[in-house]
Amino acid sequence: MKRSYLLVIALLFAILLVGCEGSGDSNASGDKKSDSKNQASEEPVKGGTVKVAFGADPDTLDWMSTGASPTRDVSWHIFETLFALDQDFQAKPMIAEGFEKSDDEKVYIITLRKDVKFHDGSTVSADDVVASINRWRTVSSVGTIADEYIESVKALDELTVEIKLNEVYNAFISDMTAPKSALMIIPKEIAEAAGEKPLTPKQYIGTGPYKFESWERGNQIVLTRFDDYSAREEEDWGGLTGKKVAYFDEIKFLIVKDPQVMINGLKTGIYDYAETIPPDLYQVVESDPNIDPVTYINGYTVTTPDKSEPPFDDLKVRQALNHALNKEVIAESAYGNKDFYSMDGALFDPEQTELYSKDGTDDYLSFDQEKAKQLLKESGYDGKPIKIMYSNDTETYKRISQIMKQQMEAVGFKVELVPYDWATYLEKWQDPANWDLVVVGWSTRFSPNELGMLIEDTASSGWYKSKQWESQLYAWGLAASSEERKDILTDMNQTVNDELPFIKIANETKLDIKSAHIPAYDSWVGQRFWNTWKSE
Amino acid sequence: MLLQYTIRRLVSIIPVLLVVCVIVFLIVHLTPGNPAYLILGEDSSPEAVAQLEAQLGLDKPMAEQFVDWLKNIVTGDLGESVYSSEPVTDVIFARVGPTFSLMLTSIVLTLIIAIPTAIFVVWRRHTVLDPLFTSASLVGASIPEFWFAMLLVLGFGVAVPIFPVAGYVPISAGVGGWLHHLLLPSIILATVEVGLIARMLRDSMLESVNQDYTKTARAKGLKESTVLMKHVFSNALIPTTTVVGLTIAGLLGGTVIIETIFTIPGVGQLLIDSIHRRDYPVIQGVVLFIAVVYVLVNLLIDLLYALLDPRIRYD
Repeated sequence: MKRSYLLVIALLFAILLVGCEGSGDSNASGDKKSDSKNQASEEPVKGGTVKVAFGADPDTLDWMSTGASPTRDVSWHIFETLFALDQDFQAKPMIAEGFEKSDDEKVYIITLRKDVKFHDGSTVSADDVVASINRWRTVSSVGTIADEYIESVKALDELTVEIKLNEVYNAFISDMTAPKSALMIIPKEIAEAAGEKPLTPKQYIGTGPYKFESWERGNQIVLTRFDDYSAREEEDWGGLTGKKVAYFDEIKFLIVKDPQVMINGLKTGIYDYAETIPPDLYQVVESDPNIDPVTYINGYTVTTPDKSEPPFDDLKVRQALNHALNKEVIAESAYGNKDFYSMDGALFDPEQTELYSKDGTDDYLSFDQEKAKQLLKESGYDGKPIKIMYSNDTETYKRISQIMKQQMEAVGFKVELVPYDWATYLEKWQDPANWDLVVVGWSTRFSPNELGMLIEDTASSGWYKSKQWESQLYAWGLAASSEERKDILTDMNQTVNDELPFIKIANETKLDIKSAHIPAYDSWVGQRFWNTWKSE
Repeated sequence: MLLQYTIRRLVSIIPVLLVVCVIVFLIVHLTPGNPAYLILGEDSSPEAVAQLEAQLGLDKPMAEQFVDWLKNIVTGDLGESVYSSEPVTDVIFARVGPTFSLMLTSIVLTLIIAIPTAIFVVWRRHTVLDPLFTSASLVGASIPEFWFAMLLVLGFGVAVPIFPVAGYVPISAGVGGWLHHLLLPSIILATVEVGLIARMLRDSMLESVNQDYTKTARAKGLKESTVLMKHVFSNALIPTTTVVGLTIAGLLGGTVIIETIFTIPGVGQLLIDSIHRRDYPVIQGVVLFIAVVYVLVNLLIDLLYALLDPRIRYD
């Protein structure tokens, strides 16, 4: 009796300590695949409900109109794309059977799989695909880029679509594959009725293994198994394509804001899976036999200077900043546990084998205070305070900013921290007068076109302008082979290394948790509840 | 008489609500942040933002937006959520159930504990019970809710899993499940309120315990219990009712923390979510709704005075 009392007190104390550390940040690293993946020897069990504690209520489930992760993670159960990423982040066919490119590389003939069923019972035809592509060209941030190259899209027959481009653009398949503002295939009538407006819940008709059932905003989203799902056959593709089997009768995404509630809920069986647990709580999670950690890549944190105004319009000041920052120290203080961050200067994650080049990142870790002081002296920096703006909703950004301040002051910068809540931050970001540096994270991207911190002349890139970067993006569109692309990626790394449009801090790894009753779960980017089941 | 008074009071609510409208609208719109940026994300283009602003009517002058909003309120239309395009009235209505349930269970629990305790303490006022009670009520009223909630969740949700650690079941799905989910959060809310209300009741009872009329009652040979219940308690009800009224009204906003900890999808959570997302129509609607309930509860309490104390006349 007395002992259990002590236990409760000890637990409480631990929680209080952890509670003080705040919440809201993400990530982790190292062992990126779920621990229990290899233990999966049990027979799959069909049925039951998987209850997912979900941190953020999505704004919409229209995966085409937004790049937001909460939308993506729910919607890819409902909708599918023509082509999709496999577990190695390579484009593979999904609804498409395959495609052919003409000799001049400007005409794409895409054939569709036969008898792919929509949730309303109709069959996917070339007309549906044409209408979906046309909507994608207007509402998707990726589609609007592709739109500049598209001359015409038409249905040749029931299962064949022809797309003509106005010039060679080899990133086209990759754009159609992007799981962000995705080219999801929806029935023609719905695509045309919705137009540029986000789809309404009644229009959530896709081809995915689960179909949309109901949504009580702020409370829960319910999906149910689609019994007529037209599965592919490839069992080893993984990612967002290949064979998908829906074992659960029902997926419930329950909106839960507090990570402690998520952990308690998992312990007591209220939830089966919870997303985004602060790495600080890793020890708590790991020590519980009923909870398995699930980790996966989650982009990286950066600090972006405002290059439209002094002092950071001067490359020397940006170089001084790069040399002033001891990124290993920053990352350690921001993330704590070494498993949840990694030091790598490239634009993409090492796991993204087709997009990763480790070359061209020589100055990533070049902490040198003397050099920084020297450069700062040579530059035009006049000693005016540097405003570091960040959102204090995310603990990591706050910690990074605070340590950056110390390190910058050590070499002669004057620094002022400007924290805001996320909504205010987003608005203040638009005006260069409000900030000199921002500290922010960018989730995993799947193409150089999607790198938001490098979109020229926008607030998100700090008003970056570079002929070099432009020509490399263009070259990316022309590259036809894996080797060519790798060279361009190295050049891109080099450009960022030399011009310092942003300064990368560290790769993040995200921590989710699942119940031990889910024996097989293949962790990738975000949550996917096909090919997985509950053992009881 | 009472009807006239009620009508007069109801009419006098209008200017109050008008002031609330103006203040809420100003605070909401002068706070930096813009739903268009939030909807479109970090790497949105300025053109897309401008287009969405126009679509949401945020590009109009503020005065015009305010007048439009007021005009619609008069017809009972609070506008549409920026995110879901659902009418704000529907959005609020969907969240009222959990919050009212939580308020109801916690206030019932509070009264069940507070009233007998206070009476018992006054009855035994010369024992060690009284100072003990005074300090206990102080502790109850000063415990931080979020801390106490975590403690109880760990104790009775995780270590000894008697209660669910989170969630809500509507009463339509069964009274048992409804109460089961609400009991733990209600206990937490009640702990604070019991301290306040029992203390208030005890203090007002003690004030009249040695008044002339109670002495007379005792001199007539009435039992102490009768004196306490009939003369002392009923006289102490007026100030206590005031506090209970304030408590009920305060709970409407005060459940926010508890709703968050127990993920109860109530009005408080709706308000916080909407503020984070700058969902202007919903924020305005919820605050207005809370203001209306607050004013109505106060009116109800005033009317209750007349019932409790025949000396009070409204004319």
